[in-house]
Amino acid sequence: MALKTPEEFRQSIADLHLQIYLFGQKIDDYVDHPMIRPSINCIAMTYELARLPEYEDLMLATSHLTGKKVNRFTHIHQSTGDLSKKVKMQRLLGQKTGSCFQRCVGMDAINALYSVTYETDQARGTQYHERFKRYVQYLQDNDLVADGAMTDPKGDRGLAPHQQPDPDMYLHIVEKRDDGLVVRGAKAHQTGACNSHEIIVMPTVAMREGDEDYAVSFSCPANAEGVYYIYGRQSCDTRRLEGNDLDVGNAQFGGQEALMVFDDVFVPWDRVYLCGEIEFSGALVERFAGFHRQSYGGCKVGVGDVLIGAAATAADMNGVARASHIKDKLIEMTHLNETLFSCGLACSYEGVKMPAGNYQIDMLLANVCKQNVTRFPYEIARLAEDIAGGLMVTMPSAQDLADEKIGPIVEKFLVGQCDAPVIDRMRILRLVENLTLGTAAVSYRTESMHGAGSPQAQRIMIARQSNIDHKKELAKALAGVGKPWDKGRAKVPTAVAGA
Amino acid sequence: MKIVYRGGCNPHIDRTAVAAKLPADDPDVGPGATVHLSGCPRACASDHLLVSDDPGTVVVAGELVDGVPTPAPELAPTVTRKLKE
Repeated sequence: MALKTPEEFRQSIADLHLQIYLFGQKIDDYVDHPMIRPSINCIAMTYELARLPEYEDLMLATSHLTGKKVNRFTHIHQSTGDLSKKVKMQRLLGQKTGSCFQRCVGMDAINALYSVTYETDQARGTQYHERFKRYVQYLQDNDLVADGAMTDPKGDRGLAPHQQPDPDMYLHIVEKRDDGLVVRGAKAHQTGACNSHEIIVMPTVAMREGDEDYAVSFSCPANAEGVYYIYGRQSCDTRRLEGNDLDVGNAQFGGQEALMVFDDVFVPWDRVYLCGEIEFSGALVERFAGFHRQSYGGCKVGVGDVLIGAAATAADMNGVARASHIKDKLIEMTHLNETLFSCGLACSYEGVKMPAGNYQIDMLLANVCKQNVTRFPYEIARLAEDIAGGLMVTMPSAQDLADEKIGPIVEKFLVGQCDAPVIDRMRILRLVENLTLGTAAVSYRTESMHGAGSPQAQRIMIARQSNIDHKKELAKALAGVGKPWDKGRAKVPTAVAGA
Repeated sequence: MKIVYRGGCNPHIDRTAVAAKLPADDPDVGPGATVHLSGCPRACASDHLLVSDDPGTVVVAGELVDGVPTPAPELAPTVTRKLKE
């Protein structure tokens, strides 16, 4: 099958008849639901750009499995060039959507599993890798979206998976049958889950002895029997139900998260990629997290570009664009944003070819990238709010602007720079609000903090690879630590002595 | 046996100490044997490959030998064993 069109993608998601709950109700026409549609538009953009010749270099790649052109989101990275193009593609999509476009988790999951299944087979004599390659080809041939599902609810964080009072706090095997597995549990915070054709499940922590039933990785169709979704709320989400495009800030695009429940789901053996090999669960978590921490050096930068542009436009419309402190704040925002991009590219350029043949990012630099992402978007957002002014959160509604009596009053008092129409000033301020406080803040702020692992997770990885002993040796060598000291040579300088 | 060094800006291991423990003029080691010796997992000496396509080449990248985690004291013995295989 050729690359899907955006329309074919939308129809294919509708055809899945996913079990989605929102506000306590099952949503049948989820593709056209006003709160869900913007997130579907985001993934549709990954299909749309892939069909444009000007973006082909970033959006498409040549499959090492078939030699065919495939969407890069289904590609196994074959070079450091592939790794850097991935980051650039993500920046592009962040720019086009101003949102989380949700397709990265599946790409990062397949690239992590590719090497882990190979190494598991080498050590354990299992047959996961060839099985997984067939699955990747299935994704590529059908141009599918896969959700990379890692985060379990986790219950009491102080207890191992098998020690939890409720065993379902970590997704686990409840039955092994001749034809496959039955699994139960849930995956939390699942970005793009309701926009995906497939789910790729991975364990969420390094498993220890006793956790064998929790060390499981597999794929299943998003509409597998027993899988259902409880849609996550976002700040200001019901503005999308008001029927106007002004107060939402970004009417076209948005992100999406859901609690994904596995209620005794059957998985045939040919979809299982890890089953009890606890010693490989840690590598899988680290590699998925590493790839995803690289991803944030692209996607968040693209959204940052939009926010910087919105702040600069707000400054124009407020009539303060020439103020030196405004210019300086925009420079600072750009500096922070490009630093994130530098980190995303650096871990790509320093990537390595794994024994399985795929390329993996440099883990230390990927973790440094994500650690910066836990901070810089917050500062960029703070500066955007500073530049935009308080009106972005006190502005009257679209309904007020449209009102026959109140509307002219709103228009009179919301005038800024004389050439800027009030409606456009309101639109750009609503976009800043959307990105910093509204639905898009879920991905631009809190997801920057906790997505792909909370800050402490990166610090643990950074500590593990920081090579402190080498740094100590460098310092000791220059300071002369350990050298004998001749105190007789500690003389007062001649000039001082003669004074 | 040929030893290829490159990089060296962030060594997690003492590369020259590993090289000193590798067999010199061992008849069991083939004439074309090569060791790419990088100090960290970025594998500069092998152009970022954790495993070489050449069967006569062993890649050391920090505490990895051909991509397999290997503690520093075990690096030279592991490389020696692979060179003789």
